[in-house]
Amino acid sequence: MTDFRAAASAAAERIAACEAKGTHAFLAWSGEIMLEQARALEAARADGPLAGEVVAVKDVIADRWFPTTCGSRILEGYRSPFEATAVRRLREAGALVAGKTNCDEFAMGSSTEYSAYGPTLNPVDPARVPGGSSGGSAAAVASGAVDMALGTETGGSVRQPAAFCGIVGIKPTYGRVSRYGLVAFGSSLDQIGAFGKDVRSAARLLAAISGRDDRDSTTLDRVPLSEPGPAPTSLAGTVIGVPREYLPEGLHAGVRAACDRVLKKLKELGAEIRDVSLPHTKYAIPTYYIVAPAEASSNLARYDGVRYGQREDGGLADVRAMYRKTRGAGFGTEVRRRIVLGTYVLSAGYYEAYYGRAQRARERIRGDYAKVFAGGVHALFTPTAPTPAFRLGENLADPLQMYLSDIFVCTANLAWVPALSLPIGRDQGLPLGGQLIGAMEGESTIVRIAQALEAAIDKTAEVR
Amino acid sequence: MSVTRAEIQRIAALAELHVDDATAERLEAELSRILDYVAQLQELPEGGDGDGDTRAVRLRRDEVAPDRLEAPPADFAPALKQGLFLVPRLGELDRGEDESP
Repeated sequence: MTDFRAAASAAAERIAACEAKGTHAFLAWSGEIMLEQARALEAARADGPLAGEVVAVKDVIADRWFPTTCGSRILEGYRSPFEATAVRRLREAGALVAGKTNCDEFAMGSSTEYSAYGPTLNPVDPARVPGGSSGGSAAAVASGAVDMALGTETGGSVRQPAAFCGIVGIKPTYGRVSRYGLVAFGSSLDQIGAFGKDVRSAARLLAAISGRDDRDSTTLDRVPLSEPGPAPTSLAGTVIGVPREYLPEGLHAGVRAACDRVLKKLKELGAEIRDVSLPHTKYAIPTYYIVAPAEASSNLARYDGVRYGQREDGGLADVRAMYRKTRGAGFGTEVRRRIVLGTYVLSAGYYEAYYGRAQRARERIRGDYAKVFAGGVHALFTPTAPTPAFRLGENLADPLQMYLSDIFVCTANLAWVPALSLPIGRDQGLPLGGQLIGAMEGESTIVRIAQALEAAIDKTAEVR
Repeated sequence: MSVTRAEIQRIAALAELHVDDATAERLEAELSRILDYVAQLQELPEGGDGDGDTRAVRLRRDEVAPDRLEAPPADFAPALKQGLFLVPRLGELDRGEDESP
């Protein structure tokens, strides 16, 4: 029988220690709430697949026990009247939910610096960002405060922070995990993903939350994923494609060295390495930064001070002035930027030139993946991010530079395919991530390859 | 592709977003740069789109089912009267030219 109360108390001490260092991984957490959950699980003699595991939840996912602010002033203190399906499944699996983690406002960002409540620091080097937008969840796992965490992805927001913090992050196939209770950002892209300290733990978390949900009509009509098996010792018969667009001239030398080491190791494990091409990759960032803001500008219309959001109406006579003041004051820099960009590309006269064309580019990107996988490739290997974690403040003045940090991760969201990041070594002490991308519904294949690789490489060794 | 200050203000109004002059000035520069970058999509050749991977678009039967709320509305509405949600009173509705009739 799992000792739930001991797990809750130990986690509370670890979280307090993590936050005392100034990491700021959490926006809300509670040892008492964990103990209350522990007593309930104990009384129910819970023995689910995550019994006693302590899990943190990104603050864009609704839960009744903690506020849901999305890292935004506009939702300060907001409490959801219901819990997300993913959170309900965690509790049904026996997990203890520790609290809500910091993130870029409404998940828009790549560094967690756009949270209205202050940035999260990278536990490996507090002068650096943990990545984003799920930086709080990544830092909570990397610091050892929790066993696992839920993050969300619209364009790489689980995998990029996993790489920057030296842990594992999985983004499943679009539709694999219910989004009921996930605050919408880019509805054709959003998915809930899983962080763990190793491949097995992230895959177990994903398995527990996966599967069809009647409350989300975009979920795939499939049974939940299975728990991962033991790590294979051979990858004989496995074909791994290396898209040449992801290892360009001028790539960061540490990132390249780490990737070379992985490819050598994969060969030693018996895998066949195949040079492949995803020719429309160069259109990924332009496509993403049209599609995602367009969807966001529509999804965020509900924060108007009437349906949701802290209202600013002092002395204002008409309702539109109230909307504008509420939204102008409640949203931060990056959210306002994306709402204006999204509204612009959807406006009359520009729709076809931007949104229409981006939709076509997206189809090409999806087609690139489908062709490669139809050609007998089981998974693709790429770097997760073009550099190790950057310094706090380094990219804040240049939004485009910040967007480019997602260059290797956002295609999987556009194409709906599953992908994961695992640590593949360090450069001057900073973690580097390697990415495995699977075919549609190919989570178990990339997990199996990642387990074999994880067992074969020293993930904390310097790569050059 | 450069965006003008007036366009920024027009778009902000469409998005019901108050943008002060300093923010508009910054957005003008940032949006122009982002739009210049995304303009590379214009190189994309016409035709031959996608591969028709049908697995991603398999649809369910279109069946109407009752809402499956976690709890009845009375349990979570701040105020409810005769089955309707009560919301705080708003100011007089603006009958501006862009207001639909």
